[in-house]
Amino acid sequence: MSQPAAIEEALAALRALSVDAARAAAAVIPAIARHGEAVTASWLQAARKLSAHDRDSARAFIEGSAAAESASEEVLPWTEQAATFTRWPGCARAVEAFMRELPAAYAALGHAGERRWAELGLRWCERHLDSGRAYFAVPVRELSGRQGVAGIEQILDCAEELYESRHLMLVSYLQGALRVRNLLGAQAVTPWAMRGSDIMQAGRARGEAYFRLESEESLRLLLDSLPGFRPVERSRLLSLLVEVWFGETIELKESAWTPEKGRPFIECDGQSLMLPPVLTDQDETVLAILHSAGSMIHGSYDPDDVRRMFELSGLPVPNLGDPISMDPLFARFGDDAQRFKLLFDLVEDLRVDAAVGRNVPNHLKRMLRAGEALGVPPDPAGSYYRYALDSLRLALGQPNELSAEEQALLASVLSPQAGIAVAFEVALKLFSIAHLPEIDSREAAVLAYLPGRSPNASRAFQPRERSTDAQSGESEGEQGEGDQDQQEAGDQEQSESAEGQSEREESSETDEQQATGTGTTTGVGSSRRRAEEQAGKGGSSDKGIPYPEWDYREQRLKRNWAWVQEKKLAESNLGEARRLEQEYAIALKKLKQALQSQKPTRLAPRRRQFEGEDIDLEAAISYVTEREAGMSPEATVYRRRELKQREVSVILLADLSTSIMQLLPEGRGRLVDRVRAGILLFAESLEMVGDSYAIAGFCSKYRDNVAYYRIKDFDEPWSIEVKAQVGGLSGRLATRMGTAIRHATACFNGVSSRRRLLLLVSDGRPEDYDDGGDRRYLHEDTRMAVKEAVARGVHPYCITVDTLANEYLPQIFGRGHYLVLDHINSLPRRLPEIYLKLRR
Amino acid sequence: MNNGVNRQRGVEHDIVQRPGSTDAAPYYEPQGNEVGVFEAAARRKLPVMLKGPTGCGKTRFLEYMAWRLKRPLVTVSCHEDLTSSDLVGRFLLEGNETVWQDGPLTRSVKAGAICYLDEIVEARTDSTVVIHSLTDHRRQLTLEKKGVEIDAHDEFLLVISYNPGYQTVLKDLKPSTKQRFVGINFDFPTPEIERKIIMNEVPGVSLELATKLVATGGKARGLKDHGLDEVTSTRALVYAANLMIAGLQPVEACRAAMVNPMTDDIELSAALSEIISAHFE
Repeated sequence: MSQPAAIEEALAALRALSVDAARAAAAVIPAIARHGEAVTASWLQAARKLSAHDRDSARAFIEGSAAAESASEEVLPWTEQAATFTRWPGCARAVEAFMRELPAAYAALGHAGERRWAELGLRWCERHLDSGRAYFAVPVRELSGRQGVAGIEQILDCAEELYESRHLMLVSYLQGALRVRNLLGAQAVTPWAMRGSDIMQAGRARGEAYFRLESEESLRLLLDSLPGFRPVERSRLLSLLVEVWFGETIELKESAWTPEKGRPFIECDGQSLMLPPVLTDQDETVLAILHSAGSMIHGSYDPDDVRRMFELSGLPVPNLGDPISMDPLFARFGDDAQRFKLLFDLVEDLRVDAAVGRNVPNHLKRMLRAGEALGVPPDPAGSYYRYALDSLRLALGQPNELSAEEQALLASVLSPQAGIAVAFEVALKLFSIAHLPEIDSREAAVLAYLPGRSPNASRAFQPRERSTDAQSGESEGEQGEGDQDQQEAGDQEQSESAEGQSEREESSETDEQQATGTGTTTGVGSSRRRAEEQAGKGGSSDKGIPYPEWDYREQRLKRNWAWVQEKKLAESNLGEARRLEQEYAIALKKLKQALQSQKPTRLAPRRRQFEGEDIDLEAAISYVTEREAGMSPEATVYRRRELKQREVSVILLADLSTSIMQLLPEGRGRLVDRVRAGILLFAESLEMVGDSYAIAGFCSKYRDNVAYYRIKDFDEPWSIEVKAQVGGLSGRLATRMGTAIRHATACFNGVSSRRRLLLLVSDGRPEDYDDGGDRRYLHEDTRMAVKEAVARGVHPYCITVDTLANEYLPQIFGRGHYLVLDHINSLPRRLPEIYLKLRR
Repeated sequence: MNNGVNRQRGVEHDIVQRPGSTDAAPYYEPQGNEVGVFEAAARRKLPVMLKGPTGCGKTRFLEYMAWRLKRPLVTVSCHEDLTSSDLVGRFLLEGNETVWQDGPLTRSVKAGAICYLDEIVEARTDSTVVIHSLTDHRRQLTLEKKGVEIDAHDEFLLVISYNPGYQTVLKDLKPSTKQRFVGINFDFPTPEIERKIIMNEVPGVSLELATKLVATGGKARGLKDHGLDEVTSTRALVYAANLMIAGLQPVEACRAAMVNPMTDDIELSAALSEIISAHFE
């Protein structure tokens, strides 16, 4: 085939530079040539220019040309664009990316759009070649966010702003920014990237991780700006609802969901519920929590049913002691596994929701309404969604599109006796008759669930027996004790091992202290403490002060059984105390205002009043004499009794066992932070009120080693040293509560107040290393200690943050003598409040 | 409303008023044998202590018993500044003379009334001591300031109420006081009885609405240990029913009667609202 002279000439020029390039170009020429001789010559010139500049970029240009031509049906515009790359050295990878995306750019954006796309990219190449390359490397559809050129301009506007203000290069954040935009919209990109540039300045690696959305802080920021309802923040509401409707407490945790994982669901491992950081709205969240809690309570994880399902499938029954995965049940359907799983979930969800509907009025109606409101997703998920809606209508007795056979099958899971195994059987039968389309991707499958519902057994779970009386509808009274014991046993093991560990730590620390004499004591007042410690050792016996202990098995007090050593705290941390004062400054101010208004302002008896309890004799006599003398005196003859300060003394006794060092579930510190803050606020309010108070803490390790830390005595001022000690509070060892109560009661000796209150702040049940696992022993002993205290005119009152405390505190302290705070964060604020209520 | 005594509205009347034979009975729905216990105690002149949460019907019960026994009912709401002279009486000046004025307790002792000391724990302990001699075999009231003693009228009956909530740790009655009384425990009525009460108190409420209200109340009481000082009372349910009859939407009525007065806690009120909207969807 002969070529026109101009083309031959250009090709020869190219060949002179690179034989390979010329050969490749010759192969492409037929496609280009139909645009005319001049165009082809220009194209070859561009190729030559590129080749002269950088061989690799010329190759990429030539190889990509055929596709670009067929997508655009033109040549010159993109040829010119490609030729622009010759302005920058080392542009091969950029050209490669540009040529690769070119056809897609034409297809997605049209001719004008493509020009804008290229223009924006080339501008970035001019600025920073790497950023330009990164720009061209992103698939156009992704870059535009399916919004055409506007989408691209949007993200580049952000980039422009960041470049202007922070000199931030596109390459460092483009990938992350696109994901952020997809999740949260374009307005979220700039703040996210701004924060990132700050972090980048602090440390490159950290900043890069942030921009890759891999670092914790990036994820946190993202989750914080996600729109919707935040179940974790409202977990108190959710657990209240679970308790109200089901009469049970279920642990709520935070799940590790991230926006990439698609639609968020509440997950369950058979023991607790895992809340995603965000759900659509409160309605969906409430439905979801009721549904998920309902599935736990109504036997979705029942070991007998699980066994039966595996038997029905002819599979070996897994060991019911280990976490179980349901996957084998679905795996045998091969390619149809997803279809069967969805159908099974649908039937099981219907069973659970029908059961929940027996606890919660109008639950099914509400779910149907929410499902209808959300709207049916596109097929194939839509078919399942409609099927689920129809099954709800069936349960509600409303008209639906299910066949008679399907209706009969589904009706069998609506009975209160039906368990998950019944749902499984029904799903097996329905599988052959229900007309549901193939579904393969997980992305599509998650859309098939109604709001509030979620994939069942999405993670391996621990079997959980069905709460027996949940079946009968109302769920009050004793239930699921078997499980609870089991669960508690597990908890105990864990906490024991944790305590064991800290015990070792503690003992090594004491060894060290003994070796060095003063140990880790630092800061204010250390010399004073040392002197006191030594004095303490010299004064009473090393063993301390003995107290009896009640043994319920023998029904007698064991004399001199538990030994208390009074100590001063070794740690102090004034900085922490100051920080907490800052943090709670507003709460404290409010508290003080409230106290101010309560505080009696007149202390002296008021004489010569118009009214009062008693006659003011002096005034009365003068009144009578004056009247006799013909005057008209005012009848101010009463005396009002002095508003007396209530004589209250209180000891705030803090449980300083290891468990207070636990991290709070929602992050932001440890339990001990709240305890410290609570004590600080408490002391400040008491200073204001003027009641006499003492602060102490206790912990224990075996019966002969109960430490009682006197943090502040009744007559000691609320000094900086004391504050610092409160700031340095920490947890260690176990909780021998009875002995501590006995000792605190003894500390009231010599206090003249008639009203004596012992306020215990605790986070768990009485336990010690030597109780031999017999919880009842220390419970009974504590109960006895409380009784003894009351007999001696001291009123113990327990404030706890242990949500399980309702099980044991009523027996120990008696009704009305304890309070379970269901939210740890409220402790600082509530502590003074509770005290003031008590003394009212 | 019937109070056992037909009273003219807006007119002063004496605190000691005997129910007339033509008065209609106050509505009271017995929950157990409290009527029998109370009558037995009254027959044997024993003082009575009513225990139970706020709004479960203690006061109404007494109005009913006063009507049944045809005795006047004198109610004293105790507060922390209540002194013994507020109960017993005091000297007042009139012209050139001091005049003794009997307090409500003294008047009841003389007239043979039922004296009801509501929320006795709120009163100062020194004021509760005056009742000691009244509550044992002596049945005497000593007027120290006057230097006299009064033997109680045969029909005099002392009743106290006492709500064992957590605010009473420091203010518990002394055991020596407590053990002088016959105790009757009150609690919220069973659902059937509570339904009946609502329908009787608020004529026009349908059975369905009453049933829903009772179910709502029952669930709301489940939140007791979570920071509610007092739980949803029968009285609150009656209020809600009244508001509904007055034309409010059920959810709105319940919120006004059962959520807003109870708590300022956002989460708790959200939980209560959830309970309400679930029942009244």
